[in-house]
Amino acid sequence: MKKWSVALVSLMMLALTLTACGGNEANNAANAGNDGTASNKAGQVTLKFMGWEVSPLETQSVKNGLEQFMKENPNIKVEYTTIPGGTQYVAKMQAMVLGDEAPDVFFLQSDYYHDFVTRGSLLDITENVKKDGMDSDLIDSAVQLSTVDNKYYGIESCIVAPVLYYNKDIFDKAGVAYPPSDPSKAWTWNEFVNTAKKLTIKNGDKVEQYGVYGMETYYNLIAEIMSNGGNWFTSDLKSSAANTQEVKEVLQAVADLRKKDGVSPEGKLLTNSGMSPAQMLQTGKIAMLVDGSWALQELSKMNFKVGVGVLPKFDEAVTHGQAHLHVASANTKHPEEAWKLIKFLSSEEYQLQNVKAGLWLPNHKSLYTEEGIQKWLTAGVHPDGFKDLIPYFTSSKPYPYALLSSQRIQEDTTTELDKFFLSDQSLDQTVQNIETVVNKSLAAQ
Amino acid sequence: MKPRSWLKPTAHIILLIGSIIILFPFIWSVCTSLKNVNEVFTYPPRFFGAELKFSNYTNMTDRFPIIQYFLNTLKITVIVVVSQLITSSMAGYVFARLRFHFREGLFGLYLATLMVPAQVTMIPTFLLMKYYGLLDTHWSLILPGLVSAFGTFLLRQFFSTIPEALEEAAKIDGCTPFGIYWRIFVPLSKPALATLGIFIMLGTWNDFVNPLVFINSMNKMTLTLGLANMQGLYSTDWPALMAATVITILPILIVFLSAQDIFVRGVTLSGLKEG
Amino acid sequence: MLFPNLIGFLMFLLLPVLATFVISFSDWNLTNSFHFNGIDNYKELFQDPVFIQVMGNTFYFTLASVPIGIVISLLLAVILNQKLRFIRFYRAAFFIPVISSMVAVSVIWQWIYNPEYGLLNYALSWFGIDGPAWLTDPHWAMPTVIVTSIWKSLGFNMLIFLAGLQSISDSYYEAADIEGAKWYSKFWRITLPLLSPTTFFVTVMSIINSFQVFDTVYLMTQGGPARSTSVLVYYIFQNAFQYFHMGYASAMAYVLFFIVLIITFIQFWRQKKWSIY
Repeated sequence: MKKWSVALVSLMMLALTLTACGGNEANNAANAGNDGTASNKAGQVTLKFMGWEVSPLETQSVKNGLEQFMKENPNIKVEYTTIPGGTQYVAKMQAMVLGDEAPDVFFLQSDYYHDFVTRGSLLDITENVKKDGMDSDLIDSAVQLSTVDNKYYGIESCIVAPVLYYNKDIFDKAGVAYPPSDPSKAWTWNEFVNTAKKLTIKNGDKVEQYGVYGMETYYNLIAEIMSNGGNWFTSDLKSSAANTQEVKEVLQAVADLRKKDGVSPEGKLLTNSGMSPAQMLQTGKIAMLVDGSWALQELSKMNFKVGVGVLPKFDEAVTHGQAHLHVASANTKHPEEAWKLIKFLSSEEYQLQNVKAGLWLPNHKSLYTEEGIQKWLTAGVHPDGFKDLIPYFTSSKPYPYALLSSQRIQEDTTTELDKFFLSDQSLDQTVQNIETVVNKSLAAQ
Repeated sequence: MKPRSWLKPTAHIILLIGSIIILFPFIWSVCTSLKNVNEVFTYPPRFFGAELKFSNYTNMTDRFPIIQYFLNTLKITVIVVVSQLITSSMAGYVFARLRFHFREGLFGLYLATLMVPAQVTMIPTFLLMKYYGLLDTHWSLILPGLVSAFGTFLLRQFFSTIPEALEEAAKIDGCTPFGIYWRIFVPLSKPALATLGIFIMLGTWNDFVNPLVFINSMNKMTLTLGLANMQGLYSTDWPALMAATVITILPILIVFLSAQDIFVRGVTLSGLKEG
Repeated sequence: MLFPNLIGFLMFLLLPVLATFVISFSDWNLTNSFHFNGIDNYKELFQDPVFIQVMGNTFYFTLASVPIGIVISLLLAVILNQKLRFIRFYRAAFFIPVISSMVAVSVIWQWIYNPEYGLLNYALSWFGIDGPAWLTDPHWAMPTVIVTSIWKSLGFNMLIFLAGLQSISDSYYEAADIEGAKWYSKFWRITLPLLSPTTFFVTVMSIINSFQVFDTVYLMTQGGPARSTSVLVYYIFQNAFQYFHMGYASAMAYVLFFIVLIITFIQFWRQKKWSIY
């Protein structure tokens, strides 16, 4: 038997299949080169920049900003791409970091910042921050959220905080006073529930209009827990504080909104109604909406009279602040250019664009002076009374998940909260379970 | 009255209702894909909006670069199908006809891996791709697809049923084993190859897990991953999502309708699922 | 000629199978250095409440989807086997979900299951039923996922049954006709017994596939709400590619392998028994 000829043919076949796809890859690369204008220009650096998209408007803001940046830095070309947000984003980003495929610069949710820093995935930019004096104008909470052990691995983009939106037409029609925007006049929880009841309209058994929506997500919940003097964690962040009276009161009150008072729709409607919460508020499915301050950008463009107020209080009128960070990969081949981009993204100029559109709130001290506020408060975006809200944001408490490695903790907490809100797990069982799983995760850190 | 005369009409009614239930989601997706964004929220639902918005199909290319995804998927599928057919048929021939040491043992190993769930091999494959820097390239989808134990097994079984008498003449003429494989076995097994080819195609075209794990860049995504990505980004723009869905299904549907018999034969012959 | 195949086989099948086995005895998470921790992962599995819940969900999915799917597809195949006209049309209709990608299918179904604007709840409202939030209600999410996957695989099983039915010789039925047997007694006494090897094969394959369900869950519910649809492979995926607990995920993959192995051995054993027929 001619073994050699067999082997030879086999090798040829293998070579054939390999070169066949090799050719394809080369073609693709060539195509990419043609599409990406002049990426081979001498001395030009291409930065990969990745983020997610809350709304198409947001992506447009980012792209506008990047055009400006590239005009100022003709030797840097930025390629911006978006992938789905939330946990999918983190999973993908982690996979890219591990595969040495991480983009040079990317958005990172504050809640995962510590996870990434611990794994050594992010570029230490402390020296550059200090050298360029970037930190001197940041408000305190921004500094706190951007540093891990006094080192910067990224800069917080802005502030966002949960607030209470409402559809003014619905309030006018029902003859009910608007929710206050001055934190010192915040509604008590009872006032809030009573208003929500007045605004819930039934037609037979079917509810046509709900008083409020959005309180059940853990992001919004924690603002009310803080208002009741509680927190998910003890102040040293070493153990869970879920099993406390402060937390339990709030969980019960929020669950009652839907289960007892019937003024709020199914908690997960957000992800599965097919309508965004903003659309629900616009079309009068709900009268009030608890959502992040970023939603104002979308809401203000939706052709209805939107108002913004402070959240109802248990004890103290308070919200929490955080925002995603702009970070660079530890493995970037262009650390200097990456820093330039981060610096630009943290500049007053770039921030103003998004702040004016209602997407962000500033984290520069200079933008909270009387003069600074005039730079961004925009008629048609920021409703009447928005100025009253400003102290609410500047005194916001740090978002606790952003201060520790919290990926698994959040997943476990959400699971237990789902069991409580959507299934029939008891309150005591829920907080005990959260305490157990969270303490286990914290002990492992 | 003849017995069973009512059976056939009843059967038709049941099957018709069944087909409607089965096909309804597809019909509904086509209808939704032609609506205006606001029209999808009308209640009670209607089949058609005020006008048929074909622009949903043309406008989505910036969010769903359909041509790029299509070409990526096509490229990967063609390479995988062709090379898997070649490697499987050659090895199938060797296992069926050539005699060498450890042949049975080696074939036994192939058989054993048939039972291994894909998830078991995924982690090391991910690490292997990472080691060779092939993550986020189409190689990471192509290379593991070049060979399949199932294809080798299927074709070995098929080749074993070909009478040896057919190759005697060729052997006397001095044909090499490769010559016999190429001139006798391949032409004789065209139906089996077509069946296997269609299964590999289905599995590769619709594969979601592997692209999900291996591919990150938008311009390298396949249709399935691209669609899932779009769903993550535009979760409430149902008409656009449905348009993308329809376009994702369409190519494979055309292939299926034009080669229904090969599909059917494939299922009945092998009785094994795709992948 | 074996060479190209052998290389691929060794690199992407045999080597990974062995590597997973080795990794399953380590606490590797890609960033720490590799070191073995004995059978800790396997011990931890049985103390991990999430793993136990996930196994329960996987069994729930399998025990519900396999019998229902088989009964419906068998009935359809029997009906379709009456030498009807339009058989090509029906066959194609039932097979279209099989060839469609799960991603596309899940997008469509999510819209149908939508609690507020979905077709399903609208249809139920005709009968005065206020449908639940299918995919976001912890009690309903799993049944909802199961319905979708039965719908998807129905046509495939139906075709295999059809082939099995067509291989039953007409002479049995003719003999029964002479005895004046009714159609249902023919079904119980001829069709079912003679079809049993096919039924068994379909059952085994369906069980194996059900244990490996992933796409449906990942796309429709992400394992939620409250982990009520989190199945074994979804948890493997999370551990491997979200938490990067490679050792732990590998151990789970081997548990899955072991289950599939047992089912396969049962199949071999039964096949031997049947070949006596």
